[in-house]
Amino acid sequence: MPQERAHVRLLIIAGVAFLWMGAVFGRLTYLQLFLHGDYLARALRQQQRTIEITPERGAIYDRNKRPLAMSIPVDSAFGVPSEIADEHLAARLLSGVVDVPQDVLEARFESSRSFVWISRKLPPEKAEAITALNLKGIYLQKENKRFYPKRDLAAHVLGFVDMDEKGLGGIEYELDTEIRGKSEKIVVMEDARRRWFDGSQAKLNNGADVVLTLDEKIQYLTERELNAAIARTRAIAGTAIVMNPNTGEILALANWPTFNPNKASEAPADARMDRAVGALYEPGSTFKLITLAAAFNEGITRPDEVFDCENGSVLVAGHRIHDHKPFGLLNVAQILAESSDVGAIKIALRLQAPRFYDYIRAFGFGLLTGVDLPGESRGLLRPVDDWGSFSIGSISMGQEIGVTPIQLVTAVSAIANGGLLYRPHVVAELERGDRVLPAEGLLTPTEARRVIRPETAATLRRLMEGVVLEGTGTRAHLDGWTSAGKTGSAQKIDTATGRYSRTQYIASFTGFAPINNPAVAILVSLDSPVGQHEGGEVAAPVFKRIAEEVLTYLDVPRDVPLNPKLIQAAYQKQTKEEGSALEDLSSVDFSGQPDAAPAASQTTKLDGQGRTDSKRPALTVAVDQGGEVEVPDFSGKTMREAADISLRLGLDPVLVGSNLAMDQSPAAGAKVRRGAKITVRFGTPLEKKSKPRPGNRN
Amino acid sequence: MRSKRRKIGMAEFHTVKRIDNSRLVRNVEPARMRNLWRTVALGSVIAAFFMLYIFQHFRCIDLSFQLEDLKGQQVKAAALNSELKLEIAGLRDPMRIDVIARRRLGLTEPLPSQVQEYDEPDGSEVAAARYVRPNRAP
Repeated sequence: MPQERAHVRLLIIAGVAFLWMGAVFGRLTYLQLFLHGDYLARALRQQQRTIEITPERGAIYDRNKRPLAMSIPVDSAFGVPSEIADEHLAARLLSGVVDVPQDVLEARFESSRSFVWISRKLPPEKAEAITALNLKGIYLQKENKRFYPKRDLAAHVLGFVDMDEKGLGGIEYELDTEIRGKSEKIVVMEDARRRWFDGSQAKLNNGADVVLTLDEKIQYLTERELNAAIARTRAIAGTAIVMNPNTGEILALANWPTFNPNKASEAPADARMDRAVGALYEPGSTFKLITLAAAFNEGITRPDEVFDCENGSVLVAGHRIHDHKPFGLLNVAQILAESSDVGAIKIALRLQAPRFYDYIRAFGFGLLTGVDLPGESRGLLRPVDDWGSFSIGSISMGQEIGVTPIQLVTAVSAIANGGLLYRPHVVAELERGDRVLPAEGLLTPTEARRVIRPETAATLRRLMEGVVLEGTGTRAHLDGWTSAGKTGSAQKIDTATGRYSRTQYIASFTGFAPINNPAVAILVSLDSPVGQHEGGEVAAPVFKRIAEEVLTYLDVPRDVPLNPKLIQAAYQKQTKEEGSALEDLSSVDFSGQPDAAPAASQTTKLDGQGRTDSKRPALTVAVDQGGEVEVPDFSGKTMREAADISLRLGLDPVLVGSNLAMDQSPAAGAKVRRGAKITVRFGTPLEKKSKPRPGNRN
Repeated sequence: MRSKRRKIGMAEFHTVKRIDNSRLVRNVEPARMRNLWRTVALGSVIAAFFMLYIFQHFRCIDLSFQLEDLKGQQVKAAALNSELKLEIAGLRDPMRIDVIARRRLGLTEPLPSQVQEYDEPDGSEVAAARYVRPNRAP
């Protein structure tokens, strides 16, 4: 009996256990089999995320692959309002970090429960500050931000982007589709802590990198000289373009005013305008080049043909035109050199309007050049049928026609290279990784178009050289290279009266160097300089400085010997011809007593941009060619002693500083040729001890 | 004899029978044992299979976390690389170098006459020479 009871109890327990297990397994079966789909979908909804991968915007480089624009990932702060415990507190804390008003943040939290931006593309310190707040529901995610590390260098060429990295100007706008790449969506699985643990592989479609034809160094030199000219002349705007006349590559394109693309939204619209391609102006006397090019090419005149410039005044179609000087008889070369309007008009009248119009169009005026920058203007050129009775005269001297700087320098490049008009361009190629992309669309290479015969171009080059050697452009004369060009001083239209202004001019100079096998064509244009307004006075010196620096940088071999007067002029009173080349040289006063240090006020520190009006001594340096000379030791010598010793040995001393000689180059004992340059630095012994070495200063 | 009936209690005798079974050997059925071990083996295999499956599943998830973590590190390294390139580009800004050269180091531009072109010199004859770059005219 007891056994039977035990057996029954066991059976009851077993039965209960089986029932329990049956219930569990039944539930499991129900969940795993019948509700499998529902729970799988719920899990995927929780874990699966579709993420859009923003491609990295392509970088922009100069021709030597130096970066001018790059994108790097930075943190952007966003919030999930449904997860924020105290929105008011969160808004208050965040407003102190991100400079967004608290009420604005609160409004954003109210506007959506799932996602709101707090602040985008934050600097690292602000992102760290937000992380330090450790607020629930506030997260950081990476976004690409565009940086321009060289600040305002080539700003108008590069352009700028908006907050979403959409190009709004320059190359950023023109090649936006190619540069921005294609975004891709990937599916990722994330856990409760938002850590990804599985994701499909993203196929990266980053944007293409752009390699420009600009040279960073040439661009900087050009901008620096333009800025200095603007400061000197107090012009309201300016443009400078450096182009390779043999290919149409633009090596530098500078505008003033300019802006910093990193802060483009803060710059006025006027500063963001690319005047080089979009601003129209009447070219003035520089357009005489086109007049003469057409005349020579048609064979209707010769450089030595003489024209009567009627004492500087002529009446044509009821209009009286005056030259800036009362010229009498001038040959064509002189007409160009002296920039006689009367002479140019007479040549144009012989050419006649239809042929002249054809040549103007052939040189690209009134048409788009096709430069790969946005906002280009085709200029203003009325059809020949709409020309008035005096239009041919006006246009021949560069009035009644509107041109852009890029059109003019392209036309002058055609003269420089022998008559071929190239399409100006700033984009060299597009790259993706190591692969150069095929040139298509805007980058499709175009054939150069012949506009004048090579002989005509050669003739014009010779005449343009005359402008620099003897005419209005002597301040564009380069030291060590031949150069050619044309000055322009065009009156602006006074918008109040609708007539030509007597006070506001566009001063310009356009030219190229060297004459044979030109390496660069340069245009400099200054809008409304104060005081002097002639192109030969204000623009030609800028051309000279840019050309000399650029030709030196490019190692273009000199084609003329260095001007020996230049060496003498370092110690003589500054003359008109050598003026601007010596602006960096310190003035040295040799008129003091022997062994007496020159007064501090009479010497100036070397300054690349400063001008000195100090009295220059009269001392002629005799340079003797040939022979070998051992460089003496100048230590402790005065300036007069150092100069005397150098001259006796036939060396060319460059004396820097004041007081006693402290340092020299080459060193004492070196063997150099006669006429070699010896640099001697002067100072006091205390100066030498306290003078910081490069790199020690902060 | 019947007359003499005495009431006496029934005595019960329990005989304890000690049975020594120690010399008995249980006869194990070989077939049943084989079946038993087969069952155990099969069950072990199935259990091992399930354990392996579960292990791989969670190991896969674990490796996915590590992989995504490594991807994140790679992205961070690439971002750092970009930041450094940006910093280098900023340091090489021509204006910055120009300002340092002029204001801190007191350097200036050479005159055109100071830039000389030399043939490759004999080392013993020239005390100072600057390496001339190849012609980079475009």
